[in-house]
Amino acid sequence: MEGSFNSDSGLLPLQTETEAEAAPVASTPVGARGALLRAVFREERFFLILSVFIGIFSGLAVVCFRFAIDWCRVYLLGSGYTLSRLRLLLAPSLAGLVIAVLVIHVFPLARGSGVNQTKAALYIYNGYIPLRTAVGKFITAALAIGSGHSLGPEDPSLQIGASLASALGRRLHLSRDRMRLIAPVGAAAGLAAAFNAPISAVLFVIEEVIGRWTAGILGSVVLSAVSSVVVMRWFLGSESLFRIPPVELKRPSELIAYAFLGVVGGLASVAFSSGIVTLRPRFKALPRWTQYFQPAAAGLLIGLIAVLGAPQVMGAGYEYIDEAIHGQFTWQMLAILAGLKIVATMLSFVSGTPGGMFAPTLFIGAMLGAAVGGVEHVILPHLSWSPGTYALVGMGVLFAGFLRAPMTSVFMVLEVSGNYSIIVPVLVANTFAYLISRRLQPAAIFDVLTRQDGLELPSMEEQREEGILRVEDAMQPVTGPVMDADESLEHAFQLADAKASDVLLVRLNPTGWSSLVRHELETMIKEGKGNLTLGSVLIGRQIPLLHPDHPLDTALRYLDRWPLVPVVNRADFRKLEGVISESDVLKRYRDLGEG
Amino acid sequence: MTLALQGGKKIITTAEKKRDLRLYFSHEPAILALLFFLAVGLFLGVTGLSHIYYAQRESLANRWFTRGVTDLKAQRFQNAVADFRTALLYSRGDYTFQLNLAEALLGLKRTDEAYAYLLNLWEQEPENGLVNLELARIAAHKREIEQALRYYHNAIYAAWPGDQEVQRRETRVELVDYLLGINAKAQAQSELIALAANLTDDPVQQARVGDLFLRAQDYEHALNEYRLSMKSGRNDAAALAGAGMAAFQLGRYDLADSYLQAAVAANPNDAQSEARLKTTELVLRMNPFQRQLSVAERDRIVIEAFGSAGERLKSCSSSGHSMGSVSAGSVPGGLAERWEKLQPQITEQGLRGNPDLVEAAMQLVFDIERQTSVECGPPEGTDMALLLIAKLHEGS
Repeated sequence: MEGSFNSDSGLLPLQTETEAEAAPVASTPVGARGALLRAVFREERFFLILSVFIGIFSGLAVVCFRFAIDWCRVYLLGSGYTLSRLRLLLAPSLAGLVIAVLVIHVFPLARGSGVNQTKAALYIYNGYIPLRTAVGKFITAALAIGSGHSLGPEDPSLQIGASLASALGRRLHLSRDRMRLIAPVGAAAGLAAAFNAPISAVLFVIEEVIGRWTAGILGSVVLSAVSSVVVMRWFLGSESLFRIPPVELKRPSELIAYAFLGVVGGLASVAFSSGIVTLRPRFKALPRWTQYFQPAAAGLLIGLIAVLGAPQVMGAGYEYIDEAIHGQFTWQMLAILAGLKIVATMLSFVSGTPGGMFAPTLFIGAMLGAAVGGVEHVILPHLSWSPGTYALVGMGVLFAGFLRAPMTSVFMVLEVSGNYSIIVPVLVANTFAYLISRRLQPAAIFDVLTRQDGLELPSMEEQREEGILRVEDAMQPVTGPVMDADESLEHAFQLADAKASDVLLVRLNPTGWSSLVRHELETMIKEGKGNLTLGSVLIGRQIPLLHPDHPLDTALRYLDRWPLVPVVNRADFRKLEGVISESDVLKRYRDLGEG
Repeated sequence: MTLALQGGKKIITTAEKKRDLRLYFSHEPAILALLFFLAVGLFLGVTGLSHIYYAQRESLANRWFTRGVTDLKAQRFQNAVADFRTALLYSRGDYTFQLNLAEALLGLKRTDEAYAYLLNLWEQEPENGLVNLELARIAAHKREIEQALRYYHNAIYAAWPGDQEVQRRETRVELVDYLLGINAKAQAQSELIALAANLTDDPVQQARVGDLFLRAQDYEHALNEYRLSMKSGRNDAAALAGAGMAAFQLGRYDLADSYLQAAVAANPNDAQSEARLKTTELVLRMNPFQRQLSVAERDRIVIEAFGSAGERLKSCSSSGHSMGSVSAGSVPGGLAERWEKLQPQITEQGLRGNPDLVEAAMQLVFDIERQTSVECGPPEGTDMALLLIAKLHEGS
């Protein structure tokens, strides 16, 4: 029984907002109404407190996840900076075999990055994510990343957080609406802890998972993200992911160089996402038995890349991003690493190995950014070349172009760099990358992946781009009679008769509008009320005001009660801009559907 | 609980809501307490786990760091870099590890990478002496003089592990060395004065500072430092040679003679001091303006000097330089002509009969030595001594 108090467990009763709204408030006594409002308020408050606990639990889980990844790395690949060739080949391959068995037989929902699964939980499964998924994701992703597969810990952390939150919500028998919200709250906590960047995590979850901003959601998401970051920093320290060198834009003309980086980053994003989008269904279409060997084969190839001289592509690769930021690679090496990381990540991801795309995206972006900066410096030596700045901007560029989260991409760079001087280059480069990526690959990677999985989740990007129909798009010019409230019913009837109009609009004093239907007028005239003024018979029948810029949906709320609703000027409520009826709205929607 | 449906929406009756409310109020504290204790329990569990995790990392970090230090000492910089990088994997941001990595990178001449690490360290601890010193060295290497001086000065006034005074002194010595390298002698002299002021009674250090004063061409201070060094009872050959050199440069040839003699006696292989001693002895022997010199002795010196100058003039002319046509200073006419003209008068009898000839003859000798040193290269032996006497005579 959703949305109700669970009498078996005796846990808290949490009603839904819909239920609260729908309750016959007007007919209940004043004391009961007050109690209900208090209950609703108390529920909100409880959810906020719960968000803090979700943040704490997710933070603890992410800390353990980080420990697990590091232990896997030490025991599978070795503790040294330079690794033995045998281990480089064997560790990711053998781990791939184990992962395949676990994913196929024990944790089938652990496959993939975790972002889409969290979205699916929100939109399809009413916030339900099995706890087993969190356990599976934890084990398989730690094995994969620790053994050198080219994947990151952020997206799995997001899913682990969401899964823990979902389990907690179920245990507390939260209402359906709350259950739908709780997964993103956990997701934000998981991502924030993994990234050590609460603002970016909140933005990403709002921008890519929930897709809307409301005070209630924002409060919970922020609280959970902040509490998880506090926990994470308690155990892992408050250092940022990278050591950030001083960032400076000496001349505005250098923005052209960053714009070029945006173009290159946009093209690289398209290449990266196209590769995944093309290869993934082909790998999935291979015979089932091959799925046991796909992660192992991917691991072997990645190991081979490492043996051939690029061990940097293994794992999340944060330490190498740090080195790139500090100019420790030549631009040729940076470009090679960017290309190889794209290949390695594609292999890991399309083989179904659980793990995230965030870290590889940042890696590719950093390498590409620093490489482009290096080339530009060779061609234009007068530019104030700083590999750190280009690498940071590059990270944002790939984030905007590949993950298609434009707001998050900007704030992520700001949060990671802690330097606001970088905002202008980031904005310029990200805009170019985003536009190029959108132009060449209309659907965002996460949307394509969900469709490949046979799901139809709302695309946040498409929602953002969708035009909103407004009242002005459907309203019609005023052709019927419009009368003042002090005129008589008799006069009104004559006018309606003369104009052969069924609905009569009445301008009330001092402001407001009402309407009378022709047959109502007729009845009142027959009852001998012809000398009464319109205002006297229309008391309490004021039509809610509509303005031309109101969303068309708003008009629909009133049209079942009022056959014709006046659309009035925002500055002068007595001035009519037009009128709107149910048929006008439906016609507009019909036209849109046909168009 | 009864659910009524109205317009497709679920309606909860007021009575049910009241009951829910009561239950909610009564259970909320219990739920929050449960969550709190669960969080505390998990927190403690993760704390235990983190102790194991960090203990392992610390052990790995120390193991790799120790290897790195060994490699660094053995100048196996490549291995040291890998070791320190590994150590940093397990103890990210560790100051000492980063500093050692920077040192190893400097050993590999990977200055830019080292610079990035050092800059990061500097931001963490701007008062660290070693970091400032390494940054100064890199800036000096990059010929960024202002930066180098800034970092050197930071290093001089920075905090150092161990004996701070020694480290600071060594840094200032390095700074002086750098300043002398870029020919900023005046700045070097200022630094040396500050350095000398803070010296303890260590004869080795005093002699070392004397050497630096000597390089900075501050001979007075150099001589002073050597004297202080020797005052402490340490008459080593180098200090004696340095003092001799300083006295020689100051034109105090008597003093130079005694120091140089002692230096050569202490170190017979010191050819430079020996050569300088010979020149000093010649200066002392060939100077006709010395007091307590008999007339006969003075005349003999003038005749010898005049002859020597004539020889120098001839050898210079024979190497293609026309001394006859060259005017010497304010004296009109060619040097050769002047020498030829004066030569018959420069005899014992001539000089005794006309004492003013001593001055005229020596003036011509000095003109010849100066001019020939310009035209025909630095003189040697007696000519060198005569040139030095000329300088001495000018100054008196």
